[in-house]
Amino acid sequence: MFLLALTNGLVIGIIYALAALGVSLVVGIMNVVNFAHGEFYILAGYFSYHFANTLGMNYLAAMMLSVGLVLIFGMIIEVLLIRKTYGDDLYSLILTFILSIVLQNTYLLVFGPYPNKPPNWVKGATNVFGQFYYGNQRLAACGAGLVVIAIVYLMLKKTWFGRMLRATSQDREVAELNGVNTTALNMLSFGLGCALAAAAGVILSPIFPVTPTGGMAVALTAFVVVVLGGMGSFWGCVVGGLIIGLVENFGAAFISSGYRHVFGFIILIFVLLVRPAGLFGNREI
Amino acid sequence: MKNTKVILACIIVGLFGILPLGLNVYQQHVMIVCLFYVMMSASWNLLAGYTGQVSFAHAAFAGIGAYTSGILAVKAGLSPWLGIPLGVLFAAVIGFGVGLLCLKMGGIYLSLTTLGVSEIFHIIINNEYEITRGTMGLQVPGLLVEYSKTGYFYIMLVTAIVSLLVIYWMIHSNIGLNFRAVQNDEKAAASLGVDVIRIRVLAFTVSSALAGLAGGVYGHYLLLITPEIPSLDQQFLVLSMTIIGGMGSFIGPIIGAFTLEILSEYIRGYGEYHVLVFGLIALSMARFAPNGVVGLVQAGWAKRSTS
Repeated sequence: MFLLALTNGLVIGIIYALAALGVSLVVGIMNVVNFAHGEFYILAGYFSYHFANTLGMNYLAAMMLSVGLVLIFGMIIEVLLIRKTYGDDLYSLILTFILSIVLQNTYLLVFGPYPNKPPNWVKGATNVFGQFYYGNQRLAACGAGLVVIAIVYLMLKKTWFGRMLRATSQDREVAELNGVNTTALNMLSFGLGCALAAAAGVILSPIFPVTPTGGMAVALTAFVVVVLGGMGSFWGCVVGGLIIGLVENFGAAFISSGYRHVFGFIILIFVLLVRPAGLFGNREI
Repeated sequence: MKNTKVILACIIVGLFGILPLGLNVYQQHVMIVCLFYVMMSASWNLLAGYTGQVSFAHAAFAGIGAYTSGILAVKAGLSPWLGIPLGVLFAAVIGFGVGLLCLKMGGIYLSLTTLGVSEIFHIIINNEYEITRGTMGLQVPGLLVEYSKTGYFYIMLVTAIVSLLVIYWMIHSNIGLNFRAVQNDEKAAASLGVDVIRIRVLAFTVSSALAGLAGGVYGHYLLLITPEIPSLDQQFLVLSMTIIGGMGSFIGPIIGAFTLEILSEYIRGYGEYHVLVFGLIALSMARFAPNGVVGLVQAGWAKRSTS
């Protein structure tokens, strides 16, 4: 029981961190909370389902294509909706909240109300610690999540693009003075945030089939993780994801499974009371 | 000027008083729902439009009002006429608590915390199936011994007028001035002697109490209290009505609530597209005319008077 809750907590924690990374990136650079984050996740899930199952593409190619399409879609949304709102964080929150409802209802019309599930990558289950069997697909998703998180980390810390992102996040004006085109950077980073949501979506949809309204739960968890870890902090996101994953699964195992998600919210509220900026809240990504 | 406003308000209220005579049962129902949304968006506007605290828990507070009164009526046999005031009180207490909780937070943090509060409430309703009947909905007794749409229309009308009077009084007194000062610049307001903490918590408490009132009366009108009342979809409707009408103006949410509810009843005839159409209108309004219909009209007037 303990080991199962621990494994579940770690795997789900990595998955939560992955889902929250896009929100964190966009908040850190643009000070915009993308309420429609979950809807981009769902869109990628639908894309990969239809590319793989309806068009019969290879699942890996379907995943790549889905992420690419959502990246472009995200950049279009930035130009159309978000660009006007810079400097007014509540305005962008309201706009993306409305956007999320619009997208949910569009999915309902286009894709129908039934859950869709892209094909699994692997079959079977592995014996963990000689104690219990754990689904291979979940382990694979956890591994893929770790790879994506590592890529984002390397991109942020080791590349020139990452340096521009970090500079803009620390001080927008000084970055502009040093020749960073922040308008283009905003578009790219919003698209990148959406693409990270999409990456989470294509990795997780074989485990949690996508539904038109399923994005809200994803976004809520992502917000809890991001606020807990501190807006815009990379490590805050990873640690926050693990904490929420562990707390929810231990809470579900030992206290009550119906109240699984409440434990995360309660932890969040307590942390905010003590440290209103979150655990790692110094605004460095 | 002030007199003309009072006279105009009296005429509108008078027209509403005789309105049920000219409407059939279905139209009366639409009017009752409109009045519910007027209360919800006007009280949300008090919080979001006047103090800048964009709360996502407003529908949840309507749910608190409705479920408190409903559970008391079903489990303890308490009359809704007593239950609704208790629901209002409970919503006010919880609102006071959430307002205190959010004091240290500004902007986005507050919005996300209220979102969390609303989700917690939702999970509790779905889990405590035996008390709340979960998604099945709680069947509650009505406010009237004999069910009559016209009767409910007048109850809803009186409640809405009382709510609007409270809101009007608040934003046109010193308190309203303080609200705006806090919204524009908290630190500057504090330095001029505005008790920022008191003002923010006050706004939260009053707005939650009014939401509780709206939810309570609405629940006992529908005779069935479901998790639909405190849902995020409901929150979305309230938010878009306020935005489309004009956030931060007294009349805006009233216009928004009537326009959108009547519009959505028309669209319903063509299928279940009304939420989507709603969303698209709200999205384009929020993007191109963030001050809503009221803002557009004011801009039009300003243009005419200068040219």
